[in-house]
Amino acid sequence: MELNDKIEKILEKVQKAPRYTGGEMNTAVKAWDDCPLHFGFCFPDTYEVGMSHLGLKILYGLINNESWSLCERFFMPWTDMIALMEEENLPLLSMESRRPLNAFDVVGFTLQYEMSFTNILAMLKMGGIPLESRERSETDPIVVAGGPCAFNPEPLADFIDAFMIGDGEDVMTELNRVILERKEKGLSREECLKSLAKLEGVYVPSLYDVTYNEDGTVAAVTPKCAEVPSVIRKRVVADLNNTYYPEKIPVPYTEVIFDRIMLEIMRGCTRGCRFCQAGILYRPVRERSMEKLIDLAEKLVGATGYEEISLSSLSSGDYSCLPELIRELMKRLKDKRVSISLPSLRIDSVLKESLEETQQVKKTSLTFAPEAGTQRMRDVINKGVTEKDLLEKVRDAFEGGWSSVKLYFMSGLPTETDADLDGIADLARKVIAEYFNVPKTQRAKGLRVTVSVSVFVPKPFTPFQWAAQDTVEENLRKQEHLKQVLNIKGVTFHWHEPYVSFLEACFARGDRRMGKVLRTAYEKGCILDGWNETFRYDLWMEAFKECGLDPAFYANRERPADEILPWDHIDCGVTKDFFRREKEKSDRAETTKDCRKGCNGCGLQRWKGVCSYANAGSV
Amino acid sequence: MRMLAVFEKSERIRHIGHLDIQRSVQRGLRRSGLPVAYSKGFNPHILVTFASALSTGACGKREIMDVTMEEEVSEAVFLEKMNRAMPQEMQLCEARAVDQKYPALMASLQAARYDLLIRDQAQAEKLTGAIPGMMARETVTAMRKTKTALKECDIKPLIYELTAEGQHIFATLVLTEREACKPGMLIEALSREAGLESEVRMLITRTGLYGKNAEGSLIPLEQM
Repeated sequence: MELNDKIEKILEKVQKAPRYTGGEMNTAVKAWDDCPLHFGFCFPDTYEVGMSHLGLKILYGLINNESWSLCERFFMPWTDMIALMEEENLPLLSMESRRPLNAFDVVGFTLQYEMSFTNILAMLKMGGIPLESRERSETDPIVVAGGPCAFNPEPLADFIDAFMIGDGEDVMTELNRVILERKEKGLSREECLKSLAKLEGVYVPSLYDVTYNEDGTVAAVTPKCAEVPSVIRKRVVADLNNTYYPEKIPVPYTEVIFDRIMLEIMRGCTRGCRFCQAGILYRPVRERSMEKLIDLAEKLVGATGYEEISLSSLSSGDYSCLPELIRELMKRLKDKRVSISLPSLRIDSVLKESLEETQQVKKTSLTFAPEAGTQRMRDVINKGVTEKDLLEKVRDAFEGGWSSVKLYFMSGLPTETDADLDGIADLARKVIAEYFNVPKTQRAKGLRVTVSVSVFVPKPFTPFQWAAQDTVEENLRKQEHLKQVLNIKGVTFHWHEPYVSFLEACFARGDRRMGKVLRTAYEKGCILDGWNETFRYDLWMEAFKECGLDPAFYANRERPADEILPWDHIDCGVTKDFFRREKEKSDRAETTKDCRKGCNGCGLQRWKGVCSYANAGSV
Repeated sequence: MRMLAVFEKSERIRHIGHLDIQRSVQRGLRRSGLPVAYSKGFNPHILVTFASALSTGACGKREIMDVTMEEEVSEAVFLEKMNRAMPQEMQLCEARAVDQKYPALMASLQAARYDLLIRDQAQAEKLTGAIPGMMARETVTAMRKTKTALKECDIKPLIYELTAEGQHIFATLVLTEREACKPGMLIEALSREAGLESEVRMLITRTGLYGKNAEGSLIPLEQM
């Protein structure tokens, strides 16, 4: 009772109390004592961000769906809440039964972006769990993590007991079983971690030694014992139709960022854009069948009452029967007044037909991602889109009654010159011209072209994993340049902070030594680094200095092709050899075809029968 | 037909604002599969109104929604389906089917009853002790917040009843479309009477909404 009083007291003072209250529709509150295994799902960012995340909803449903396990949610509190919790001596509590994090058997973090890493430390600390794996005792929970940033686990190796690499659906249950067995048989932490390391797709960093060369590059990553694999192969769910997908998801009271049903229509992408890590990590492409999707959509609409469904995937336009799917969904859901949105439309896959159909229910602004301003640059990054394609789609959109267009670009791409940046402005002008080409009586009023330019961050497991990121100074210069050339009537220009991107680059390709920087920065007060108002670049730079590491070594250094990369012991499905070939083609501004037009031999052919486009004979 | 339904806003979700409560009820109605009526026009929404917006931070024991139905539905079916579709924190306890012509709830609203739990025992004693003194006054001034400023007003004529028991203060206060005495205003005036300077922490629970019958006495709004 005292606990609830304390909570009530601080909720009266805190800003945005609804993000801490819980009790939402479809949040399973299973009886604690009825389930032998307790999983604390941690999203290392605020409630509004976490509750917009599809992976959380899948795993939350999946774990609670098993009779023997329960899952409760934890989010990163905002700074004011942290201060109030400290004042009242309150630990980090679950949203469901308000239990502290260290009362759970497993604590699982989802790693969506590097700038959430300090939040992991903060949540462990507030949850009463020792920060580093080696500091944990037999009574502490097993701390696991998964998600895209788990593919280069090294910067978090000190803090996470076990990483799950690849699709989480199958491995999640296997991992929970091992941890349940530990609990039931009273096995030691060490024995448990060893058993976990034997699961396919599970990496236990404490069972591997990392050695370095004099120049700071990695010399070797070697298993400490014979039972663990020297290369950890990612998990792949073979068939999305037979894997778990929730039929009911939590419905927040308060508005979150993506406050709608997200229907994952497929996983993976065949495009092969060379900057895109997700396009590699989620390979191979696997589609959910139309029948399955329609069934899920109807169940989810019934269970949530949401007014909107978004079809989600990396490249929804590539779904093989998209127009049929949209038509069928609209037919079934029209009476329920549900609108359908396609969030990641690629400009070369938008079917005019489906444009008209989405509009029938609701009209929003259309987003296009040409990514680069010139054809040469787009060829370098293998963004298989031409100016002609883009302008055609834009014209279709304007004729179809849209007047608001968002264009996404990146700056700082390998080989980029100012001419490529000028190309962004040229493209924006041509988009505006398309609008005015539509007769006044036929077009919607109020043209709005938003140009967003983000700073390129080279990522592991991409052909650009060896590339140098532009320095902060160079990025600032480019930003000024863009500001000038994009000073066009009707254009709004957005730019991302190069400081955050610089740090993101350090962690994205960081090695195990980055863990020390992370801990130091956290201890200096860095948290919520993904938010402008809390990001402290100065403290981060101090932390690097104190740890004797140079951020430029990680961010701005071009790696030689034969360097051992800190993540080389993780097999993401695509081979290093494929990345090398792609890098060389990129240097020559040569493109690579979409896998759907023929197998490029990326490495996924090693999973028999999983990739529909794989040619088993290809290298 | 319309359905008047009495529902709870529990302590756990008391910080959820009225707009979010409205949206939650809309979604609950959609989940229920009940034949609710939608507005015409470009962005159709369910025809549901609320007798009164409950402040952020306050719980409600008997809040009232007014739902226009597309087809006839029995009260029992409405209750049963809605309670399956609503979160634990917002369950319904009563429903009453009324005619389309039944007057709007908001227009009939006259008063609300509150249970104010004073968290600090010493404060509660002082406040409770000050009730007779305050009620004996001709006028009781309190500050009313308007959109732009703080305005002084006399809340004495806005108090129907004021009693106490233990750490609870029970108040029936005027609440109409035109004027209202909010619990905060009452406690502020009572604090002044009691000579309390520190801020009063309390848990506000609105326990009922009232209209007036032909004789001029207060009766529960949903029973009018």
